Amino acid sequence: MRTKLFTLFLLVSVLISGCVTATTQAPIATAIPPTPQTIVVTSVPQTIVETVISEVLVTPTPLPNPEAVIQSVEPDAVIGFWTFWLSPTFDQYIKDTIARFNEAYPGVTVNWEDHQATFQDDLKASFAAGNAPDVINLSVSEGWVSDYASQGLLMPLDDKVPQSVKDLYFPGLWNEQLINGVNFQFPWYQGINVYLINHQVYDQTGLTIDDFPKNWTDLPALCATIKEKTGTLCDIRLTVNDLISQMVYEGNVKPISEDGTSFTFDSADAVAWLQQYVDMVKAGTVDKTVLVTDQDRVGLDLFTTGKAAFYATGPNLIREVRKNNPGLYGYLGVVPAPVGKSGVIGKGLMGISVNAQTKFPNASLALAQFFTNPKSMLEFSKIVAIYPSTPDSYADPFFSAAPVAIEDSAKPFAEDAVSKYADIVPTIPHKADVNAILLRHVQDALFNNVPAQQALTDAVTEANQLLP
Amino acid sequence: MTKKFSLTPYLFLTPALVAIAIFVVYPIFAVFYYSFTDYSIVTPPVWIGLKNYSWLIHDTIFWRSLAHSFVYLLVTPILIVLSIILAIVVNRKLPGIQAFRALFFIPVISGSIAVGIAWRLMLDTNGIINAILLSLGILKEPMQWLAEPALTLPFCMALTIWLGVGYYMMIFLAGLQNIPEELYDAAMLDGCNSWQKHWHVSIPGLRPQITFVAVISSLAALQVFNEVFTLTGSLGGILQSGYTVVFYLWQQAFRLSHAGKASAIAMALLVITLAFSITNIRLLERGTETD
Repeated sequence: MRTKLFTLFLLVSVLISGCVTATTQAPIATAIPPTPQTIVVTSVPQTIVETVISEVLVTPTPLPNPEAVIQSVEPDAVIGFWTFWLSPTFDQYIKDTIARFNEAYPGVTVNWEDHQATFQDDLKASFAAGNAPDVINLSVSEGWVSDYASQGLLMPLDDKVPQSVKDLYFPGLWNEQLINGVNFQFPWYQGINVYLINHQVYDQTGLTIDDFPKNWTDLPALCATIKEKTGTLCDIRLTVNDLISQMVYEGNVKPISEDGTSFTFDSADAVAWLQQYVDMVKAGTVDKTVLVTDQDRVGLDLFTTGKAAFYATGPNLIREVRKNNPGLYGYLGVVPAPVGKSGVIGKGLMGISVNAQTKFPNASLALAQFFTNPKSMLEFSKIVAIYPSTPDSYADPFFSAAPVAIEDSAKPFAEDAVSKYADIVPTIPHKADVNAILLRHVQDALFNNVPAQQALTDAVTEANQLLP
Repeated sequence: MTKKFSLTPYLFLTPALVAIAIFVVYPIFAVFYYSFTDYSIVTPPVWIGLKNYSWLIHDTIFWRSLAHSFVYLLVTPILIVLSIILAIVVNRKLPGIQAFRALFFIPVISGSIAVGIAWRLMLDTNGIINAILLSLGILKEPMQWLAEPALTLPFCMALTIWLGVGYYMMIFLAGLQNIPEELYDAAMLDGCNSWQKHWHVSIPGLRPQITFVAVISSLAALQVFNEVFTLTGSLGGILQSGYTVVFYLWQQAFRLSHAGKASAIAMALLVITLAFSITNIRLLERGTETD
């Protein structure tokens, strides 16, 4: 009796341990056909051999996380991550993505901070203090990547990232802000260059949305019509921190000679580009404070007040208009931004770079790549009207669904537009100083009656002194 | 009787001296060193000798900024006159006069950044100033106030005066209340009217306060930044019309990452303000002595 009880106990133990093992080991347990097992039970005073058939579950080694594409990530890495103006609106998205990142790369701690108006000052101070973040969200459109990369502060990525990972991104976006042909950023979320239309003002001109200029050179005529018919001024902004780029995209200007020994932004193309703005200022059809402000929010705020017919921005900022002036939201329209003479519709918006001095290079690369991978970008696109820099993301039905709100109006053509983004501005030495010189002389042409040709020639003469 | 040396006062002074050494003396020496280097803040400084000073001497923008800073000194006499007038007005035993004193002081505690932003919104093309002037028929179309180079510096100066008048008013009010009443009685007996009383009694009695206010307000005027930045942003006004020495220093250091050049500007400003303060004090004190 005792022996039978003991045997029964052993049998139940084996069955229970098999069940527990099957439920606690993830992700997949594979049941294999029952195999007869022989259990030898020994008890005093006799030995009884019994055959027991049981189901054994075998759990194979867990599959690698498909999002973990960077190898040799440092265990127990602690990395800092700075984003630009994403909090508090996107706090949950960032935290959720970091949590997913930790599933793909366990053991890595991410300390996330969001910086806003003082981002640049904070970042420069942190580099000076030696405690800059490991992973940094930088504006590609404002030229921040090349600014920091040219000073050796960012990690070059071309030889660190496998080709299979590079192939995840649109080539035009991967090859942006190059320094001597080398890339320093993972392309992150993109905007679509559109113009927001305020129908309350625009419709007074008698024009329709279809009449909105397709080419940048037709904008001055529209501004004249708006001023004449409505009395309002155009809300146009010069990219005062990077006039060279604006000149290249809008005016198809070649800013520097092939051999890099002299600047050439006083060419006929450059003069024609500048003359358009001079004419608009003389005609009084543009708001001068918006024209030369360095803050995009100034122009957006003017549009949000309802006093401007249009404003160049991205669909992602329609939420700001809706928040600050809900009454205007119902009168909004969206058109693709006019294309400049270069024929290139735009360049990248945001990227994520890695600090060249990071103590955890692979963990930092992993985080930067994770936030920019197709799944992360797709999930971000579902929250706000930004667009992925990865072709695979657009395969999701989200992008083929018909737009339901004005914020989604760019969805149908987003992939096509983003795939054509390209950085056509050559590497400019002492870029910040050259832009400062150019801005000064452009202002002379706009506001001080200096002829455009003379202003640009003076700027070239002064800028050439910076070259060796 | 020989005085016994006591360590106690020096021990009490030590924390303040340490703080001054860390936050004042060390930065001055550090800036002096950086003024001889090519330094971008994010990379280590490289010694270049006197090149920054040579650049400064030939830089037209620096001289234009310095000229603007000297023009900005006009706020000093305006502040002194307005503050004295306000102090005389509120130095009366009237019911509710305390409320007026508080009202005049509110701009001082409001913060220059917040007030500057409010002024920028008021002066905007679609701001309240244009709205009022258009409704009164004074303007036919909105004026872009901050886009007029000739008006940039005057608006900054007006903002400085508006922010500071309450503070200096309190200093002069305290000074007025220290002037013996008998002097006013004597002036009345001599047949002085109100205006003469204040000219011959109040103003001479406020000489120490005038000296003090002249020095600190002129130093503040030479170092103005907040008003220019809040009204014009990092552009500094169209055609550099709002550029002051400190604004240009900030641009060089934090927009163009030329901390070495900015340090040279800072050293030049240090010499200028030191010379100015010493001259100011000597002239005003000489006026006191001749009395």
